[in-house]
Amino acid sequence: MNPNIVEVVNVSREVAWLPWAVQYFFLIGLSVGAFLLSLTWYVLRWPAWKRVSRIALLGALTCGMTAPVALLSDLHQPGRFLNFYLYPNLDSWMAWGAFFIPLYLGGLVLYSWLALRPDLKRLANAGGRGAAVYRRLAYGGHDSLGAIRAATVFALGAAALVALYTGMEVMVVSARPLWNTPFLPVQFFLTAVAGAIGLVLVLDRGVGDGTAAMDAPLLRLLAAIQVLVLALGAAWLLLGMSGLSPRHAEALAQVAPSMAWRITAVWAAGSALATLWLAVRRPQWRLAAGLIALHSAWMMRWTVFIGGQGIPKTSAGYYSYTLPLGHEGLLGIVGTAGLWIAILILLISVLPWGGERRAGA
Amino acid sequence: MSDGKPSSTRRAFLQAIPAITAGLALPTSARAAPGKHHWAMLVDIRRCIGCQACTMACIMENAVPENSFRTIVSTYVVQQLTAGRTTAGTYMLPRLCNHCEDPACVPVCPVGATFKRDDGIVVVDGDRCVGCAYCVQACPYDARFINHATNKADKCTFCAHRVDAGLLPACVETCVGGARIFGDLNDPQGTLRRSLNAAKKNGDAIKVLKPEAGTRPNVFYIGLDDRFRGRVEGQAALWHPTSHGA
Repeated sequence: MNPNIVEVVNVSREVAWLPWAVQYFFLIGLSVGAFLLSLTWYVLRWPAWKRVSRIALLGALTCGMTAPVALLSDLHQPGRFLNFYLYPNLDSWMAWGAFFIPLYLGGLVLYSWLALRPDLKRLANAGGRGAAVYRRLAYGGHDSLGAIRAATVFALGAAALVALYTGMEVMVVSARPLWNTPFLPVQFFLTAVAGAIGLVLVLDRGVGDGTAAMDAPLLRLLAAIQVLVLALGAAWLLLGMSGLSPRHAEALAQVAPSMAWRITAVWAAGSALATLWLAVRRPQWRLAAGLIALHSAWMMRWTVFIGGQGIPKTSAGYYSYTLPLGHEGLLGIVGTAGLWIAILILLISVLPWGGERRAGA
Repeated sequence: MSDGKPSSTRRAFLQAIPAITAGLALPTSARAAPGKHHWAMLVDIRRCIGCQACTMACIMENAVPENSFRTIVSTYVVQQLTAGRTTAGTYMLPRLCNHCEDPACVPVCPVGATFKRDDGIVVVDGDRCVGCAYCVQACPYDARFINHATNKADKCTFCAHRVDAGLLPACVETCVGGARIFGDLNDPQGTLRRSLNAAKKNGDAIKVLKPEAGTRPNVFYIGLDDRFRGRVEGQAALWHPTSHGA
């Protein structure tokens, strides 16, 4: 900072991508990550991953269904989404996203239905008031691996496109050096998968019996991803400090003078290290590891979006941000969380997720 | 006025003022298609007195909501050592949409609501805009914002409605010091082109903001200090707008 220049009048631009956007990127990332985890049993049939796979599918569905609502809310008038399909500008990553999201969600729902048909049949056979509905939904109730794999190819392709577009959409904004680094899409993806593992660990405690991670090497996977996250963060820092990458150097120069940003960086690295330590050394504290991993995934997006928009493009210093309590702030975050919980309650009310023992009960 | 060109009143006024600039980055008329208007602006910072009349005129002309600005005169206090003494002065920098030749806001718009007119003015189709704010993020000049009355993208339009009617943009019309010169780059006899040519002849630099962004702005500056071309390294603004109502 040059102390000889004092800005006395200038415009202070508000955050234009609101906390709704943070929620969307967080939830869609978790959904894609959880979907990938679910493939371990439903497609790959690795026995140790069976319970993880089941919980992950629940996470993928709940987050996947909630995410687009947050995105629509960020448009201020949800009906405007129609223009994405009426007037698509295919030069824009966001325009492509409007097609990738329904593609992914359609593939996810199809894949989930095929994967859950045996459970639906079991519920139908158990009798009760919903038996007829379950029987109709089960559509024979076959565990058709071929059909599941076909749906997986479709859903996996769409999930890859969602992961790609969410990263690229932000990365191409060259006006914001912090966003404009090739590492960003990878960082989004890795933290999303780590967050998805965290979600599985948390959901397993609430919906399952809390031991799903003991069968599968889930914690080892979480630890490996934390190592990658830390390595990527270190590489980002080194490229910026050494000046080898002008983009990284510019990004670093924008945030380095700020104490708040330095604390944020230490906090993020500390969280990743804590998750790594818990995953490796304290498997019995896996719930804590899961919660921290979830927190890291959310915090990363909050920092990138809300913090990133606090860096002026022309003005001196930083824009200040205070979380509004209304729908453009806290209420939006709480509302999205509330919708996620409502969908979670709905799904665990109508389908068994805790394992075959519970399904048969 | 009937020829579709802005009033020459201010041009005549400016014409009488000796030109004292020279161009290093003088735009050529080849940048625009021949036979068409190519609207642009030259801001002579040396003439700006920081009165914010342009800011107010823009707000009144375009019904810009409270705490939002399509143009503003950024104002800085600058200290420097001169002949062994520390002196302080005020530096003014009028900012607005640069109506770039390669605008970063256009390709990102997911619905094609933001576009560049044939005459070079970058505008937003309010009927189509979804308020996603992607263009707000993409603009390197922080020239765009979400209008809280419409919840759609908003920005300077060079007062296109006035220009189309043969008038000058409101900020130009009201500028006390004659710091803002608006005109057609394709008109060799127009005030803008003559001012640019005069600047070139007199050896004064014509600059644009953030040339490294590659957007090729159509707002040019005379007297632009390099310390203010990009993000200003200085102490943060002392004034911030209050938050808008939820």
